[in-house]
Amino acid sequence: MPSYPVSTTTLDNGLEVAVLPSESPAVTVNLWYSVGSADEDAGRTGFAHLFEHLMFEGSSQVAPGEHMALIESAGGTVNATTSADRTNYFETVPPGALELALWLEADRLASLDISEEHFAAQRDVVKEEKRERYDNQPYGDLLELLIGQHFPADHPYGHLTIGSMADLDDAELADVDAFFRRWYRPANARLVLAGAVGPEEGFALAERHLGTVPSAPARTPRSVSDVALHPPSELRVERDVPYSVSYLSWQLPPAADPAHPAIDLALSILSDGHASVLHRALVADQRVAQEAHASLLTNQHAPSLAMVLTRPSAGTSTEVAADAALETLRRFAETGPDPEAFARARAQVERDWLWQLASTTDRADAANEAWALWGDPARINTQLDEMLALTPDGVQQAVARWLAPSSAHRLHYVAGEH
Amino acid sequence: MRPTVTLAETPWRFPTPHVTTLANGLTVWLFDLPDQHVAAFELTQPVQLADEPAMLEGLATVALRALDEATSAHDDIQALLDGQGAALHASARLHATRVGGLVPARRWSALAPLLTEVLTAPAYRPEDLDLHVESLITSHRTAMTTTAGAAQWALRAGLHGLDQRAGRPLAGTPESLARITRDDALGWHHTQYSPAGATLVLAGAIGDVDLGALEAWSGPTHRSPALIPDPRPGRVLVVDVPGAVQATVRIGLRSIGRLDPRWAAARIAGHVIAGGFASRTNLELRERLGYTYGVSGGFHPGLHGSTLQLSTNTRTDVAGDAVRRLIDATRLERDFGDAEVEDAKSYRIGIAPLANETSADIAAQAATLAEAGLPASHVDDATDALRGVTAAAATAAWRELVDPDELVIAVAGDAERLLPQLDDLSPEVVEPS
Repeated sequence: MPSYPVSTTTLDNGLEVAVLPSESPAVTVNLWYSVGSADEDAGRTGFAHLFEHLMFEGSSQVAPGEHMALIESAGGTVNATTSADRTNYFETVPPGALELALWLEADRLASLDISEEHFAAQRDVVKEEKRERYDNQPYGDLLELLIGQHFPADHPYGHLTIGSMADLDDAELADVDAFFRRWYRPANARLVLAGAVGPEEGFALAERHLGTVPSAPARTPRSVSDVALHPPSELRVERDVPYSVSYLSWQLPPAADPAHPAIDLALSILSDGHASVLHRALVADQRVAQEAHASLLTNQHAPSLAMVLTRPSAGTSTEVAADAALETLRRFAETGPDPEAFARARAQVERDWLWQLASTTDRADAANEAWALWGDPARINTQLDEMLALTPDGVQQAVARWLAPSSAHRLHYVAGEH
Repeated sequence: MRPTVTLAETPWRFPTPHVTTLANGLTVWLFDLPDQHVAAFELTQPVQLADEPAMLEGLATVALRALDEATSAHDDIQALLDGQGAALHASARLHATRVGGLVPARRWSALAPLLTEVLTAPAYRPEDLDLHVESLITSHRTAMTTTAGAAQWALRAGLHGLDQRAGRPLAGTPESLARITRDDALGWHHTQYSPAGATLVLAGAIGDVDLGALEAWSGPTHRSPALIPDPRPGRVLVVDVPGAVQATVRIGLRSIGRLDPRWAAARIAGHVIAGGFASRTNLELRERLGYTYGVSGGFHPGLHGSTLQLSTNTRTDVAGDAVRRLIDATRLERDFGDAEVEDAKSYRIGIAPLANETSADIAAQAATLAEAGLPASHVDDATDALRGVTAAAATAAWRELVDPDELVIAVAGDAERLLPQLDDLSPEVVEPS
């Protein structure tokens, strides 16, 4: 397992910096701010993500849209993402543009300056993003339904990060300044530099640019909400889609919990590929489904969700497919994985993890994620070993504990009659 | 003060492969990349979709997808492949069929015989073929309910005509897929799967690779030539997706190939118009007007020739205006300027090493070159050619190559609301059959 050297420091203003040098044609600047949609005020869903868009729309020395144009003309890529837990900004550039990238990050952190006109335009862009990703897609409201099955609407994690059209329409320019001042502080940020940069150079450049941003107290860490999640339920909806699907979902511990590696490995054995347990049982043997997949929605300060999707075969109901999946899980919880399936999953984990570290862009993000979850960016060097130390018993126990039929939420997303 | 960007001292070069040809005719490109612990491979064969039997379009895709479900020797070949930590992908395009994947570099030698087995002796069990036929039918039906899928269908049909293979869905239709039998799959495999004219690209920390396993692969020596479809005239096509909240706009124009002397200028021109965040059309439609999450496009090279594309998704009520503005952009009422051309050049030149960082990047790029009969060094030639492009050359190339009246414009969305907006463009409403 390759090991990447990691050096860290904290600037006087509270910004934490990690540098991961490697042989590369590129250097990645990856910045995580500890604010996400879980921090949004009531009636302002979608604001953290809208704000992410606005971060590209002007600061004291940078014109609206110029941040992206400058990075592109330097031969780099730039983007940002928002989740419930954090907002992430990243650039991957040739080494000669590293200082420019850091200067741009510093300028907007110090002096973001948005006009009413650009605020309105980005709000429209975000609404189009919502339409493109959700409203104009078949099954586009699935995620919202699944979240709603588990989280009450007034729970911080109870809404989509993209927000609602109504709340986006209610957002005002004045909200931008308040949000910026409250959350966008050096002490709420972590910077990872990965690739063609050494620690000395990286720290010096971070200090020269981001180190000049005035300090302000770090946010109080988000606590786990005491709003209770919903108990298991069964929900049936009809939609204008060509095929019905069945979703089973479960509440898991928050993302940093030590239970997660065993759950990840279990889901891989259960659902990855056509040699997986669910495919063999439901698709090949019983023929009640055409496909079965599992996925995770991870939350840092709230339960994460595990989801198992099955698409019933012709003439099979979603209820029958769901029951078959649950019976398969029940049996797996009793017997655990067979040794060959366990060995295969380990081989897949190795490739998957090595692949996550193969590009500077992905490696920088993995380091920032490890930093957020476990307080140590260097944990990327041990995560694979931790996964490979799991045992078949550990996987069996994870399924018995976390994917029990009695705690499954059921969603029947049924193709409506036309 | 804003920092300046310092350029690399020596220009980046695409890595040089070690190229060999095996006794069975398979050409192999090996890229030893010691830092890439996950190896990537792409095996490309010059299989022509035009060779699919007339009523069985999609056969190439089904035969490809079902390759690794089971072999004559191993019902559980999937498990064996998984056990090497491999992840496979495959695509059957008009002029090439690819099987590729990722595997930890240290496991390549164990994977190679499994790959050979999959290429040589797929079992094509009826249940596996049924599964993939059903999956492709499902994908098709679902895609046709989306504005993106419907617009893609219409663009292809408009560019090449439904009477040519290139104008019809690559993976067939539900009707053609439903006719496919096991004998058809075996027949396709028997006549089409061969090392003749094929190239294996392997990139990663592979060290000294033993290719002996692949020498066991054999097949027919005949390869059909690639037939280039006749061009078709410009049209405006509308596909109805009732109730859709957005319209997908796909604009296309068939154009010159990589070896045309104007190619570098065309690439730059296409990038300025629709290529990056700072393109003319993205700045207008997204940043200024808020019509869309983004506009993308440019000259996309094919085997011979290229397609100039402009694509976007907009809310329904401004789709007509968006189409008009995209067409206006292609009229180039304002010549290309030095600043936007230099920005496009420095993006394309600067990004080249970053876009070729991983083993998968290198393998995919190399496979594309192998399919086009070009050496790996073509990447460097193409990148170097960009340096000499001027605003005048980009403008001249665009004016020679782009006639707005020849554009094929596909708009998919709520036709009831779209047609009045597009009235002056004389749209034709078309329906996927």
